[in-house]
Amino acid sequence: MNFSFSDDQVLLKNSVRAALEEHCKSAHVRAMADDAKGYSDDLWGEMGKLGWLGLPFPEEHGGAGLGLVELAILLEEMGRAAYPGPFFSTVVLGGLGLTLGGTPAQKDKWLPAIASGRARMTAALLEEHLDWDPASTTASATKSGSGWILSGVKRFVPWAHVADAILVPARSAEGLSLFLLDPKSVGVTLSPMKGIDLSNRWSEMRLDKVAVGAEAIMSQPGGAATVLESLLRRAAVCASADMLGAARRCLDMSVEYVKVREQFGQPIGSFQAIRHRCAEMLLEAENAHAAVYYAAWALTAGAEDAAVASSICKSYVNEAARRVCGDSIQVHGGIGFTWEYDLHLYMKRAKALEPLYGDTEYHRELITRHAISAR
Amino acid sequence: MDLNYTPEDIAFRKQVRAWLEENLPRKEIRTLDDRLGWHRKLYEAGYLGMGWPKEYGGGGARPMEQAIVADELARSKAPAPANSLGIGIVGPTVIVHGTDAQKKRYLKKILTAEELWCQLYSEPNAGSDLAALKTSAVDQGDHFLVNGQKIWTSGGKVAHWGLLLARTDTKVPKHKGISCFLMNMRQPGVDVRPLKQITGSSEFCEVFMTNARVEKSDQMGKLGEGWAIAQTTLGYERGGRALARVTNYASQHSRLVEAAKKMRRHGKPLIEDPLVRQKIGRIWADIEVERYQALRTLTQLERGEHPGAGGSLTKLSYSELEKRYMELALEILGPYGQLTEGAPKEFQLEIDTAVGEQGSWAYAYLWSRAGTIYAGSSEIQKNVIGERILGLPKETRADRVGGKA
Repeated sequence: MNFSFSDDQVLLKNSVRAALEEHCKSAHVRAMADDAKGYSDDLWGEMGKLGWLGLPFPEEHGGAGLGLVELAILLEEMGRAAYPGPFFSTVVLGGLGLTLGGTPAQKDKWLPAIASGRARMTAALLEEHLDWDPASTTASATKSGSGWILSGVKRFVPWAHVADAILVPARSAEGLSLFLLDPKSVGVTLSPMKGIDLSNRWSEMRLDKVAVGAEAIMSQPGGAATVLESLLRRAAVCASADMLGAARRCLDMSVEYVKVREQFGQPIGSFQAIRHRCAEMLLEAENAHAAVYYAAWALTAGAEDAAVASSICKSYVNEAARRVCGDSIQVHGGIGFTWEYDLHLYMKRAKALEPLYGDTEYHRELITRHAISAR
Repeated sequence: MDLNYTPEDIAFRKQVRAWLEENLPRKEIRTLDDRLGWHRKLYEAGYLGMGWPKEYGGGGARPMEQAIVADELARSKAPAPANSLGIGIVGPTVIVHGTDAQKKRYLKKILTAEELWCQLYSEPNAGSDLAALKTSAVDQGDHFLVNGQKIWTSGGKVAHWGLLLARTDTKVPKHKGISCFLMNMRQPGVDVRPLKQITGSSEFCEVFMTNARVEKSDQMGKLGEGWAIAQTTLGYERGGRALARVTNYASQHSRLVEAAKKMRRHGKPLIEDPLVRQKIGRIWADIEVERYQALRTLTQLERGEHPGAGGSLTKLSYSELEKRYMELALEILGPYGQLTEGAPKEFQLEIDTAVGEQGSWAYAYLWSRAGTIYAGSSEIQKNVIGERILGLPKETRADRVGGKA
């Protein structure tokens, strides 16, 4: 048993941090906030060269064949840098969705395209009622010749405006099914949604009798429930890793700040009121670290408690990141409330991710079901 | 990262479990003699002092093996051994700081529980500010004469010996004038009085020392170095026990779930109430995160690293969790939660509390208030974390500036 990163994992972490410190400074994050697309193709290409875009895919599909622990390491660093762009939507939602439920032809076509930087993807997991349970899906898929007609409304589809393909859950006669949709299809309307997080974009997506071919269906018709549940668990852990990175950045900035900021003739970090708050922030961050990497390991290893570990992870990190980021504003005082100071970039990113891929209450309910049935 | 247990560790766990099935006391432990009997059984099986060097009667076991034994003891709801302070704290301290003669004289008898130990640290006016202690040890040429008062002494009633911190120099800054001694508790001049706690029982004692005697050979470390010894001692209160603690919490949690299934509110089982479900889910998550952290700590110990100030994070985390946990448990159980007697059987807590006694939820709740005070309060732990892990500047404090104790 070993809960430490391997040498390779440490190397990955260091190289990702170094690359993001070079290419994704806060000036870049701020510039992309005003950019029409919201991200940089140059940096995307660089990420492809570094092997990040195919990190968790099998080697036969142009990937590095690594697991969720490595992906979480990468995402933690992206959260730390508030990386703006469709990495999460493409690699986690699209790529892992395809590895879990794609047909061989879909995997052959899309995974190498993602890994090489040619394709961007996303998934439309949430509908109008904002219920994370895949069983609640109401978008419809009706058979039409050899293909399908899709109708419905999807909300908070990340980076849909730059996606080349979108995973769309819909209910067909066979049950819950999953489709791979070209967003340029007739009947697809995307309306941009912009929130407080300067580094992420979403769209509302309306599907008005969108015709897709037979090749668009993933997995088996009616067989998408387990794929979606697995994907959601992975997305929850990956989002937690991202939030952990954002929270760590807030903590690090806070600790540096309270060492130098003086009030009453002393650095404010010497006051117990401040020091105790920083100690609590560290405790939350360390516990969040354990929750993220335990769940990432459990999902990769197929451990017995992998499903509940992902719910523990998201529900715990949701609150931990909220406290750490919130407290970072508090210990900074007025400067923490300014637009010029970088703190809000990370705090807002974590805040926007908090309800995504399962809010705290959703995951706690899943944990309780597990606790009731386990004993 | 690989969180699978090795085949050796899995086999070892099976072996421990089988031994426990065979040897667990069948009847409830009520007297000290019962407890001593159980202690000797554990010792003979090699399950006490497992990590101590073999030359002093220990087993030279790896931290993971120690953790597995502690975990299986918790899982089987085994009673605590008799000399837990001696084994958990005093022995390891003697191993690090004691003379050869002290190791030969004391360690084996700690392991066999032939001599029971307590820890004489806190005083009425030196709790969180432990270095403010006033008990004095005055050099009489061939021995030291000890005068003063200690408080919160666990197991003081039954102890034969105590690990004592006393002031030997009043002219230097307070941390530097403290020395460490091994003191015979069974001598004239040592008066032990049980202290009734808010739980109604008396695990703790007050100890009054009036011209008590400590032999020169029972001084541990150099004069004035007691503070450093105390720091390592406090470090032993953490570590391999973490996994067992979580197992204990989890077993309590399953009792809580069972109770919530049986209780009814608004005509429905309580377990169907979404608010109750949220509370149950939250606590389960907190307990599991504690388990992940325990595995992290074990990884460090297995690699021969000392958690150091990281132990303060562990202690802060679990003691604060315990408080939140018991408060939520009592909320869920409603008026049954605060009963010490007369609760229907299914709402009782039939497992050991932190001190190894059969307990009620109410008792466990009251005990949870102690964890954030003893062995360094949460506030002290946060100071340690702030200063030693985060590197925050120290507070300007009068006692660090001046030269007087």
